[in-house]
Amino acid sequence: MNNQFTMAQKIGLMFRYDEDVPQDMEGWIEQQLQAPSPALGIAKTGASVTEWPDELQPNLAKRAGMWRRYRALKKQQREGKNGQDTEAARQANRHENLMQEKDEHKFVQRNAYGADQVKLRLTSFWANHFTIGNTFDTGQLIGHAIDEGILAKLNGSFADMLYGITTHPGMLTYLDNVWSAGERSEEAKNCRRKPDCQAGLNDNLGRELLELHTVSVSAGYSENDIRAAAQVLAGWGIDLGEELSTMRKRTGGNNHWNAYKKQWAEPGPKKVMGQTIYAGRSGLRQLTDFLASHDHTINHISIKLCQHFVSDSPTKAQIESIKSVWHQSNGDLHAIHTQVLKLAINAPDAKFLWPMTWLFQVVRLSGATYFKGWENTHNYNNKLMHTKKVFEELGQSFWSLRQPDGYSNDKAEWLSAEMFERRVRFAEAIYVNGGTRRSANKIMDRIGAAEQTRALVASVGPSPKDQFITLMCSPELMGLEYV
Amino acid sequence: MSKLIPGRRNLLKAGAASLFLAGVPIAGLAKGKPPGSISVIILEGGMDGLATIPPIGDPDLMRMRKAISPEGYLPLNDFFGLHPSLKFYAQLMARGHASAVHATAFPYTKRSHFEGQNMIEGGGLSPFSEKTGWLGRALDLADVAGRSLSLDMPLILRGHHENDNFYPASIRGSSRPKANLVNMIAMGHKMDAAQIFTKIARKSEENVRVPRDPASLATYAGRAMAEADGPVASVIRVNNFDTHANQVEEGNTDAGRLARQLVVVDDVIAGYRRGLGKAWDDAIILTLTEFGRTVAVNGTWGTDHGYGSVGLLAGGTLSGSGVIADWPGLSKKDQFEKRDLMATIDYRSVCAACLEKALGIDHDLIASQVFLQPDLPRVFDHLFA
Repeated sequence: MNNQFTMAQKIGLMFRYDEDVPQDMEGWIEQQLQAPSPALGIAKTGASVTEWPDELQPNLAKRAGMWRRYRALKKQQREGKNGQDTEAARQANRHENLMQEKDEHKFVQRNAYGADQVKLRLTSFWANHFTIGNTFDTGQLIGHAIDEGILAKLNGSFADMLYGITTHPGMLTYLDNVWSAGERSEEAKNCRRKPDCQAGLNDNLGRELLELHTVSVSAGYSENDIRAAAQVLAGWGIDLGEELSTMRKRTGGNNHWNAYKKQWAEPGPKKVMGQTIYAGRSGLRQLTDFLASHDHTINHISIKLCQHFVSDSPTKAQIESIKSVWHQSNGDLHAIHTQVLKLAINAPDAKFLWPMTWLFQVVRLSGATYFKGWENTHNYNNKLMHTKKVFEELGQSFWSLRQPDGYSNDKAEWLSAEMFERRVRFAEAIYVNGGTRRSANKIMDRIGAAEQTRALVASVGPSPKDQFITLMCSPELMGLEYV
Repeated sequence: MSKLIPGRRNLLKAGAASLFLAGVPIAGLAKGKPPGSISVIILEGGMDGLATIPPIGDPDLMRMRKAISPEGYLPLNDFFGLHPSLKFYAQLMARGHASAVHATAFPYTKRSHFEGQNMIEGGGLSPFSEKTGWLGRALDLADVAGRSLSLDMPLILRGHHENDNFYPASIRGSSRPKANLVNMIAMGHKMDAAQIFTKIARKSEENVRVPRDPASLATYAGRAMAEADGPVASVIRVNNFDTHANQVEEGNTDAGRLARQLVVVDDVIAGYRRGLGKAWDDAIILTLTEFGRTVAVNGTWGTDHGYGSVGLLAGGTLSGSGVIADWPGLSKKDQFEKRDLMATIDYRSVCAACLEKALGIDHDLIASQVFLQPDLPRVFDHLFA
């Protein structure tokens, strides 16, 4: 591939079939990092690309309101009241009040049509690093966390992103923190006086904050450190289904992203990995700032970034160069990303692509319309599957129920016959049902495909479909090495 | 403190299980089919052994975890009870077809899901030390190739390069790939990737619909294993045992997250029983979880990561029913690091005994070549004598 497409494959989502290809790639990186990020998409098949309508992108307060309404109607449905126990009413309730399918749909459209491909790749990296699995009520929140907790914070400091995502109601719910109370908190004390009352510490988020999000097990922290981190976190977050009046009473406000229940907080200072953390709301920021700048955090995440963008087996020098920028810039994500992307475009190695990254690249290169328009999110389409189903068959989705360590950046984890068969089949489905605008030959000319790729595509005969499948499943387009 | 409790149907849909079938004898290569079959149910998240098989005869149990101990347990003997969700399993126990091993664990005490899961699947001496899994290595020893039924190849089955996975896709606008096309694509790829494409070509003639809920997957696996040239191993993964919160429902210790997940386990075992038919007599099924949970309740109607847990076994190969344990006690001084159930039986020994029974391989060979621990104790006689 020519230089531009090699870079776009590694650090972006490929230039769309009709997009201008830049000449100055270093300048392009900077421009991409600063690109505005409207959620682009189409209202229906054949429509032109525009921004998603505001009403399909509700804020947290609206999402919480929809969730309360959803649950109230579900209750009526169980009780057979107000005509809610019909299939039509159930469906209407899901479609009107649940955000998951709309958010998933927005995510694929934005990745297919976005002009901010580099930011979208970085967003996926961080959304995976800060995995929020789909449990309980997080389906209502994952999309919001990705847009507002990750994408909107790509050019700030790592410390800001860490604090933002740790306090996001999606994370606080996924890792059970919304139900955690300090053992010496007012809530726990009151509770102990009542029979069968439960209030106490839940260390789930405290543990993963250290193990996965920041320092990692290499830091050698103890169970006491995990407990202390959980105590700092106690009081943060509130159940999304809670009535607004209760929420105001407990948190003194109605902002789910800043919900701190003093009554649930552990009094007194805590010590996490030798660092004293003071009591109160500001303790958490103190803790996440301490962790954000910790050597083990910098090392852990530099390796992950390298493995995701630069090379399947990064060298020590590559990792060190990211660490050094991280230190020099005090964890400025813009500086860190710039270094990672520069390394990526200067590293000669092929870089294996996640299934979803590959899928978006196939769609963009070929100009296919493989995802439905937002007006038809819930409607059956003879050719185009529901987005949820696409992700399910692909074996990768940010809206799946999965473990907090997220998807692996290790190529070996993805090398399997079924995973590869999916690529063959999605390439076929995109060709057959997606109305591709560019043939294999046109795409190869544009990207400057390698001689081996041209020979491989020629070897399968004259069928345009077989040629298209072969091109998309060639080592070059999958980010694999050649024979 | 209420939390949305999803209905069981939703949970089964959401709590996707995946199935891995392995050990298809290769014509002209196998030494003959092994004597039995082995199925592993991986319970992800760390199952609470103390609630699954509550030691009701231990006076500390009610003192320390009354809030989450199932009131409606089924008594197994004077000392142990069984969680009321495990109804089918209870019937098997009554017939001498199920046993449990208690206060047991892999030798891993650090309480990280990801290190723990790597240990119980890899079966190595430390987390991330092995690139292959213990079941995969054992199948290699027995000369049978593996095949897994899922989108990814689980670590536990990795071993032989012939290992393969299978999870029929359902993608609108696509059909099973043509063998000759995939073979052509394979020729353009380097070794490892080329091999994978070749595998797709090999099975591109098959066209099977496979269910995706755990119990049906188990039935499907059981049926496949019951066939004369069927696989000898299967793995089913059930997630969501990480019961930090709402392990029980407020006011009902027999309901809640754990109770729902145990129903899934019970259904999976029943599914295997149904599917295996006569092959049940030669089968062994065992559960595997990365760790147990804290003895104390954590304050959100749940428990945090711990150490010792319980292993559930079922199958016609068992010589009888019982709870096998060297009970460590629950008082603070008996707990591991003053918080967890101590493990007194190395669960690798239990896995080794199941491999010995199902695959007919010597314990010493399993100890040294599968678990890389030549002095691993043999517990075979406690289960199969």
